[in-house]
Amino acid sequence: MSHIHIPDGVLPLWLWLSGWVAALVLVGIAGRLAERTEVRRKVPLLAVVSALMLVAMSSEIVPLAYHINLTVVAGVLLGPVLSVIAAFIVEVVLAMLGHGGVTVLGLNTLMIATEMILGWALFRGLVAVLSRRRVRWAAAVATVIALACTTTLLVGLVALAGGGAATTRETGALNPASLTFSNPLSGGVFRAGLFAGGGSEAATAPQAGSLSVARFAAVVYTLGPIGWLLEALISAWMLGYVARVRPGLVWEGALGAHPHHVPGDEGVR
Amino acid sequence: MNIGSIDRSATSDLGWMHRVSPAAKLVAFTLALASVVVTWNLLVALGLLVTIAAASVSARIDLRLAFTLAAYPSLFALIFALASAPDPLTGATIVVKAVAAGLCAVTIVLTTPYPQIFAPVQRIVPGIVGDALLMTYRTTFLLLDKFAHLLRAIRLRSGIRGVHPVRMARATTTALGSLLLYALDLAQRDYDVMWLRGYSGRLRVHMPKSHTPALDAALVAAALLALAASVTWRAGWQALNRYSWLVPIPALLLLAAALFARSRPQEDSR
Repeated sequence: MSHIHIPDGVLPLWLWLSGWVAALVLVGIAGRLAERTEVRRKVPLLAVVSALMLVAMSSEIVPLAYHINLTVVAGVLLGPVLSVIAAFIVEVVLAMLGHGGVTVLGLNTLMIATEMILGWALFRGLVAVLSRRRVRWAAAVATVIALACTTTLLVGLVALAGGGAATTRETGALNPASLTFSNPLSGGVFRAGLFAGGGSEAATAPQAGSLSVARFAAVVYTLGPIGWLLEALISAWMLGYVARVRPGLVWEGALGAHPHHVPGDEGVR
Repeated sequence: MNIGSIDRSATSDLGWMHRVSPAAKLVAFTLALASVVVTWNLLVALGLLVTIAAASVSARIDLRLAFTLAAYPSLFALIFALASAPDPLTGATIVVKAVAAGLCAVTIVLTTPYPQIFAPVQRIVPGIVGDALLMTYRTTFLLLDKFAHLLRAIRLRSGIRGVHPVRMARATTTALGSLLLYALDLAQRDYDVMWLRGYSGRLRVHMPKSHTPALDAALVAAALLALAASVTWRAGWQALNRYSWLVPIPALLLLAAALFARSRPQEDSR
């Protein structure tokens, strides 16, 4: 559950604003740390790994409304500091394309960064325990645990938002009980069908319409595991493949690996 | 996601929105987004959506592309609404808000070259983040094309015809694995090019000056008006809710005018 597919304006102001502030502080710190060495090499690497995540996220599995994210793969390749920056970049581009809300961009950055860092740490730990021959198992288990953790984080966020002021709503001129619109001219000038009703409904319009956290949790914990398994299979396959053909990338990280030159490019060195 | 079309639309001079300065568009976007965020009135949200749609129509952008992109978040919003909304009305409001915010973002993206959208972000984040942001957008184009080609080649080589979920998943994963290696080679190539060109840790984006101050002001004023309506209805809901149905009416008139303007041949304003 890499990022929050919650539209703009659903979460309370304090929550998404805190997310923005925390994300900007984290990105600022990560940026300063990353700029200390080899910036020239990190910029294109960050760009291609972020773009790879965007390509994966654009391939949606429609019946499940799920798309793969490659967060754990990206986390393993980038390490924790660059992961934070990649998470922010991915979310900015997604928000631009209308895929993620702008207000939840900060929270989304924190969610993706958590998933990437958790995936990276778990993968390293599991490989240390299971040996390098079990790359696929390590990748799969790390992915499932990382996704389960961030899904729980998501449910926690919705629970935090559940009773907040931003979830209260006015119902417009519509009475939710009868699904009838009240009419300003209800004194008899216009009173038919959808415009029936009116009078005192507006004054007594229900304010509280809290999100149902239990139902939301039930849905994400039911649909989520299918996505976790898919993501785990794909991450395991990809990391297994890369460990076989380019082991340096997985064990040393993309920056630690020896520079690889494409035939024909030797002239630019 | 046809990013090539997005780029083509953003850099061409199709309509009035393309001529508005990026700074004014970003201010208007922020105000319009704020109005979508503030409202919890379905009719006001619908009014905002129709107004934003009118702006898209009059901007002469590819409507199929714009609405397809804007519809994407509605799928997730629908699931969120089904999962958590206390009643159908709130669910509908959540979906309308998602589509309105999405359409607003997409309209800006389809009328503004991406470096100019990223320029303000670049000013507030560390250099490496801003530069990587600019390069990511461009790299995404390349990788999407490459991924489509790889996937087609792998499908053909595997002889996959029709629906074979397991074989298709395996082909997709293989394509993604190959794409990952290609991407890392691409990063290396980019590094070489940047090294040769003397990159020193900052790509500078020039923000162009406005050539159409009147259009800029009109767009920002319209967005301010939308925010004012949204805030007014939110603050004074007890008195105003019964008049909510009035909000979509001017929006629909605007949409009709935009459709009429779009149907007429464009005059060369330059």
